Amino acid sequence: MRTWLRIFFVGGLISFRALFSWIRPSVYIPTLLLGPTTQILFFAYLGRTAHLKSDSWFVVGNAVQSASLAALFGMGFAIDGERWTQTLSAVLATPADRAALFLGRALPVLVNAAITASTGFLGGALLLGFRTSWSSVPGLALLLVVASFACTGLGMLIGALGLRLRDVPIIANLTMAVLLIFCGVNVPLDKLPGWMHATAEGLPVTHAIAAARRVADGASLGSVRTPLLVELAIGAAYLAAGFVLLRVFEQQGRRHGTLDRA
Amino acid sequence: MIEAIELRRTYRTTTGVIRRRPLEVEAVRGITFGVEQGELFGLLGPNGAGKTTTIKMLITLLLPTAGSARVLGLDVVDDAREIRKRIGYVFGGDRGLYERLSALDNLRYFAELYGVSGKAQRRRIDEVLELVGLTGREQERVEGYSRGMRQRLHIARGILHDPEVVFLDEPTIGVDPVGARELRQTISDLVAAGKTVLLTTHYMFEADSLCDRIAVIAKGRIVGEGTPTELKAGVHAGRVTEIEAFGVDDAAVTRLKEIDGVTAVNVEERDQKQLLVVQTSGERELTAILLAELDGVEVGRVASREPTLEDAYVALVTAE
Amino acid sequence: MTRGLRVFWTGFVLHFKNLSASPFMMTTAAIWPLVYATLAFLMFRATHQAPSLLYAALGAAVMGIWSTTATSAGGAIQQQRWYGILEILVAAPTRLILVLAPITVAIAGIGIYSVCSTLLWGRLLFGVPLHVSHPLLFAVAIPAAVLSIGLLGLVLASTFVVYRSAQHLSQALEYPIWTITGMLIPLSLLPGWITPVAWALAPTWGMRAVRHAALGGDVGVPLLACLGLSAAYTLLAMLLLHHFERLARERATLSLT
Repeated sequence: MRTWLRIFFVGGLISFRALFSWIRPSVYIPTLLLGPTTQILFFAYLGRTAHLKSDSWFVVGNAVQSASLAALFGMGFAIDGERWTQTLSAVLATPADRAALFLGRALPVLVNAAITASTGFLGGALLLGFRTSWSSVPGLALLLVVASFACTGLGMLIGALGLRLRDVPIIANLTMAVLLIFCGVNVPLDKLPGWMHATAEGLPVTHAIAAARRVADGASLGSVRTPLLVELAIGAAYLAAGFVLLRVFEQQGRRHGTLDRA
Repeated sequence: MIEAIELRRTYRTTTGVIRRRPLEVEAVRGITFGVEQGELFGLLGPNGAGKTTTIKMLITLLLPTAGSARVLGLDVVDDAREIRKRIGYVFGGDRGLYERLSALDNLRYFAELYGVSGKAQRRRIDEVLELVGLTGREQERVEGYSRGMRQRLHIARGILHDPEVVFLDEPTIGVDPVGARELRQTISDLVAAGKTVLLTTHYMFEADSLCDRIAVIAKGRIVGEGTPTELKAGVHAGRVTEIEAFGVDDAAVTRLKEIDGVTAVNVEERDQKQLLVVQTSGERELTAILLAELDGVEVGRVASREPTLEDAYVALVTAE
Repeated sequence: MTRGLRVFWTGFVLHFKNLSASPFMMTTAAIWPLVYATLAFLMFRATHQAPSLLYAALGAAVMGIWSTTATSAGGAIQQQRWYGILEILVAAPTRLILVLAPITVAIAGIGIYSVCSTLLWGRLLFGVPLHVSHPLLFAVAIPAAVLSIGLLGLVLASTFVVYRSAQHLSQALEYPIWTITGMLIPLSLLPGWITPVAWALAPTWGMRAVRHAALGGDVGVPLLACLGLSAAYTLLAMLLLHHFERLARERATLSLT
């Protein structure tokens, strides 16, 4: 058990350091701390222009969606530059050890995503008068974490793909665009073309956002049990897919000697 | 033409990763020299000696931290723009051109930036292309050029506005021998046309064959100055004897050094043998005496030659 | 004066060509604006009280121009540095402003591709009627909007000659500039104190000129305000560059990659 935990934390440390190699205060503050708020303000006012829904509706949607920026890019970069981690994982013995390293890598990214997304709620509260009862806050926080988890899972998959396709920023940007359009963030799901709505059901943030909106309006956490669990399951599925893909590429890389990307 | 007086330049950087400490590096520590009109002057020194920093101060890209410099009588700090109109700057390496565009596009753009425009531009571009030997290749994209061709294009760019003074920073670096020879010919032609040229390089033979006068720079200071002949003669006048030996020991080397007339002994390891490079002063033929001291040591080839610039350079640079 | 214009034009053409030859630049310019155009179209279509889809198309098109500029203007300086050309540009006897302005305006000019792709997208996928009230004025308003955005980018880029990390700040300005300059959101909906800020931004007037040229309304005043403010930005950039160039020469940050 001790070994497992140790490996878990080693994985976390690696990811944490990778995170900070590209996130310096000069980048972090504008992009990750202020970014979500600027996005929320834009869409809330756009909503007013279109006479669509309410400020609150846009605050919740965009705040939760903004977890994806940190998660997708964070995970993408955490996997991308880690040649020596691959050597490490080659040394690891059991599948449990592998899982520990893997999950350890995901944790800092998840935490970072949740933190940056919560600044959106703060910004919405300060600048748009977003209000919710104190009793709803724990529920919202939990949903935010679950959404961040789901985005991290997707990020893992994208990071794994990035190992092969090489262009992590472009894939990550495109994915974020899809999330922004399809997942009921700014356009109500029932107003979207059927195929978009259907796709969104299998993507992160869709269910979390729907649940979060209800909780923000006063619904109990229990009443949104189903969407919460679905979101969790989606995240787990992407995480697992990313894990499998990483292993496959790892094996291939070792066979063809392509692991060391210049 | 060019005057540098006690030029100094300090860089402030940081060391350490977590706790960043400021570090001051003095790259140029009081450099003084002058270049006459029509001269081809060389700044010779190892990497990191301060050559590039010095040249950048002279072309007004860097402000000196102390000291002063004048080019064409104008001050590098106060009259920067005037200076830039009348000097050309060329550096070596792959960068410095818009790869995806043609040589002609590049030249047209820089011509405009350097104040050559209108009818004069077309004519001038043709002239410089002719001078560097790229006529007929100007429509091709730069990304297809060889290193030598790029360098020639760099020179073409640098002289578009017909500057009186041209600064060349390691112009033949990375260029194949044939290409480099052509480049050196072009550089000579520039001087023949009446321009003043300042060249930095770490290639001995380049400095020797091209330059009228040389200043040797090491660790931010000038350690020697003069014509190539003066430099060769000045430091250790005399001859250099190269002796191939097998299994020479320190005692033998010390004995050699104590011989009257020997100024330096350098031992170079070459696989199983050593090359003893003995510098001697005076005209006396000391070979026999040297060999006598090496009695007992197996000796191979023995050659005696004039000191080269390299010998003078090594002596100057390692004297610190 | 004529020499200045000629230098500007030559530079603009060169950099426009250079940028157009970059596949990355082209895909970003053409595709990213479509994301926001789609969102605008879908949002406006969801209710019956929203402005017209043509309004949305125009706003999204100009947003695309800012997008390209915000992300690339800072990068442009960095890119010249990476090409190894920044040194040569600064060493030239031409004022730095005449060297940099063509770069940022060329970047904004690439936004033309965004405008085309956005309008085409709107037409093909959402049936947006591309009917323009005053075609000639429209043809003038678009370059004016491009110029205003390019020069705003120049003011930002001037700081990057010395402060390299400032380029991330420019990326973070994407949403705020979209919001404040009324590209999609009418100024009347924003808090009152924003209005003077918006009026001080040339792109606000550029957008207004484009919109009125297409949908009807006075084009003259916005156009003049746009051009006047653009001129003011140029002066500001000149001052900033003069100051920052000296700083860069002192601190030796010109050639470091």
